[in-house]
Amino acid sequence: MMQVTLTMKPRAKPFLPIEAEMIVPMNFIGSRELFVWEGNKKRRLEDVFTVRKEGNVNSPENIVVILRGDTGRVKRVGEYMSSGIITIEGDIGMHCGNFMRGGNIVIHGNADGWLGREMRAGSILCHGNAGDYCGSGYRGEKRGMRGGKIEIMGDAGDYLGEYLTGGEIHVHGNAGMFAGAEMRGGTLKIDGDVRIPAANMSKGTCIIGGVAHEMLPTFEKTGEKNGMVVFHGDVANKGKGELMIRQVQENSALQ
Amino acid sequence: MHEILIKNAFVIDPIQGIHGDIMDISVRDGRIVDKVSGTCEVIDAGGNLTLPGGIDSHTHVCGTKVNFGRYMSPEDMRAGRTPRRGAMYHTSGYTVPTTYGNSYRYSKMGYTTLLEGAMAPMEARHTHEEFAATPMQDMLANTLFDGNWNLFEAVGDKDIRQAAAVIGWTLSAVRGFGVKLTNPGGTEAWGFGDDLSSIDETVPNWDITPRDIIDTSIKACEFLHLPHSVHLHCNNLGMPGNYRTTLQTLDIPSDLNPDRQTLYLTHVQFHSYGGSTWGDISSEAEKVASSVNTKPQVVIDMGQVMFGRTMTMTADGPMEFRLYTLHHNKWSNHDVELETGSGVIPVYYSRKSPVNSIMWAIGLELALLVKNPWQCMLTTDNPNGAPFVKYPEIIGLLMSNLYREKELDQVHKLTTDRTSLGTIDRELSFEDIAVMTRAGQAKALGIIDQGKGHLKEGALADIAIYPVKPDQTDPSLQYEEVIGAFQQTLYTLKDGFVVNRDGEVIRGIPNRTFWVNANLPDDMDVMKSPRFVEKFSRYYSVDLENYMVQDDYVERGIEMNTHVA
Ligand SMILES: [Zn+2]
Repeated sequence: MMQVTLTMKPRAKPFLPIEAEMIVPMNFIGSRELFVWEGNKKRRLEDVFTVRKEGNVNSPENIVVILRGDTGRVKRVGEYMSSGIITIEGDIGMHCGNFMRGGNIVIHGNADGWLGREMRAGSILCHGNAGDYCGSGYRGEKRGMRGGKIEIMGDAGDYLGEYLTGGEIHVHGNAGMFAGAEMRGGTLKIDGDVRIPAANMSKGTCIIGGVAHEMLPTFEKTGEKNGMVVFHGDVANKGKGELMIRQVQENSALQ
Repeated sequence: MHEILIKNAFVIDPIQGIHGDIMDISVRDGRIVDKVSGTCEVIDAGGNLTLPGGIDSHTHVCGTKVNFGRYMSPEDMRAGRTPRRGAMYHTSGYTVPTTYGNSYRYSKMGYTTLLEGAMAPMEARHTHEEFAATPMQDMLANTLFDGNWNLFEAVGDKDIRQAAAVIGWTLSAVRGFGVKLTNPGGTEAWGFGDDLSSIDETVPNWDITPRDIIDTSIKACEFLHLPHSVHLHCNNLGMPGNYRTTLQTLDIPSDLNPDRQTLYLTHVQFHSYGGSTWGDISSEAEKVASSVNTKPQVVIDMGQVMFGRTMTMTADGPMEFRLYTLHHNKWSNHDVELETGSGVIPVYYSRKSPVNSIMWAIGLELALLVKNPWQCMLTTDNPNGAPFVKYPEIIGLLMSNLYREKELDQVHKLTTDRTSLGTIDRELSFEDIAVMTRAGQAKALGIIDQGKGHLKEGALADIAIYPVKPDQTDPSLQYEEVIGAFQQTLYTLKDGFVVNRDGEVIRGIPNRTFWVNANLPDDMDVMKSPRFVEKFSRYYSVDLENYMVQDDYVERGIEMNTHVA
């Protein structure tokens, strides 16, 4: 086992974002110098974090990277990671787990936007809330998350799982607008409430345990299952997705 | 005073009739001069190929369509990233790079002038803003008229003078350079979910045909004495059997201008298809080239396809929709009110695909079968056929039969039966290439007098020195060296300054935008026509005053003044 602890140093301008796509377990094997960008300045990792390494291994699956301190503006942590564990004790910035291919990320605070964007495999557990576009595709992409699992214990923002293509997202709290928009596969589960879910979905399963507000009229009711109403759609685009809802908001276009 | 002496240059300057002489070139304050003082900066060209700066007469590098290509392809933006370094800004993108990416990469290949192939008048500001951020090249904007209702009215009235008034006013208003027709009438029909399948089909809601639009625009262009001719993207792009439309279109213009062509047909590769379906598509490049060979009034550009990933973008909305129904991937579709439209779609051209392989062969056939290089420009319709960084490989293919044979072995087997490429043994010379990449383009665009495309005394000192010695190189065997040489100059000079050296950007020079002021007489001023002003305010979503592009957008504009007949 090897444990790498990165503790954020006090910063003169704490609002400046840090581009830290090199924070993936594999990069801590050996002793190569690592750099991040703080705003438009290139910094050595050691200039931004106090780095403590314990143990020594030569394969990434046995590495745990711990981020400590004010990391809410640190972006792209775990991008393309394939194995190992990243534990974030506080909040994390945008694009955490971009294109992730394996391993685990655990966030004890909140995650900013684009958590697990276009991830292929592995798992992300966020104990707090997630921002907008969790598990989605980037703007201009036609495929979002394709595999793996994202679990959010709190709430998620807008466009949760947009273009979701595979894998599973489970939000224990509420989600914002347009959860599951353009879904093409995978499973999206929200225990709480949502607004305008699953617009234009073509495949996959979306399960809403709470209230669906402003439900679109382009879903066809096909039955009931486990106390939930089952819909088929989005028929506006000949979609074959499954949408299950505990309760459709009164005065929705469709009830 | 800034002077440079380039010594031992192997110069090919087709406009001056210099066919490969070792000579010196003197430069003072951005212009070619007869002599410089003894103390100036000296560049030893070492007998290497020295040409006027490259000119691309049809490329898509700036404006809304291009930018939409950027928006919709984050994967492309992740490719081709370079960090800020020296005089270079950071760049990203491969098929639709950032403006700086385009500019630096063209400059590395010796290009100093670019014509943006399609600017929608209403969206001109965006194009001009991106021109200003393309620091290594002077820019020109072909302006779209293919669905312009004001022009359509004049065409319907068979009123060439009124058509000229609309065109002249619009070019001045939006700081445009030339008249571009993209699928004339067809893009307008697409606004109603339709397309036109022949140049004699009537445009919906109008009593006119593409033939009428083309013919009237050509005459209006000549009436205005515009530097460039009508620049036409024919109807039926990319449809099997479309060569018939192309041949009919080629028959439209008579020879109306002694200085240049009367009609410029762009990306003719996409318009030279035989057969009737994707299953039996074949090349009709021979027929199209034969027609061009009998018509000095016509110039074409290749629109060569090269294999790999790229982005297609055009004002031809219905064509992009047909492409979308084949791929079902990303698609952008856009309408520009009373003027035109557009579509954008990413594509991958594969050697394994018979259709793509045949397309690849057709472009080369055209360039090899058109006898006079002044009538066929080297383009890919960047990035539609391929990103422009593929130009050097195209040069290699045109100069070496051996290279072509090797490549022909790699593509789909049907290519040999369905095209004549394997039977052509013509190999183009360095001079042919110089014509097809700068001299011919300067003539076709009518910018020789602006000091472009040649190295005459008084010309702009835009010069490209390539690391190849033509007198010691046999391109038919050493095509790899030739390709390498055209990929990266030893020196690129613009306005008398070294702007690129061994692929490194040395500096940017504030670039120019050439635009046409038609100087219309009072009785042709559409702004004084109550009918025009009333229609404009009724149908356009912007006010006339807000439509006009302000001078701020073309700070370094070069006004080309023309006068009506
Ligand atoms: Zn074009």
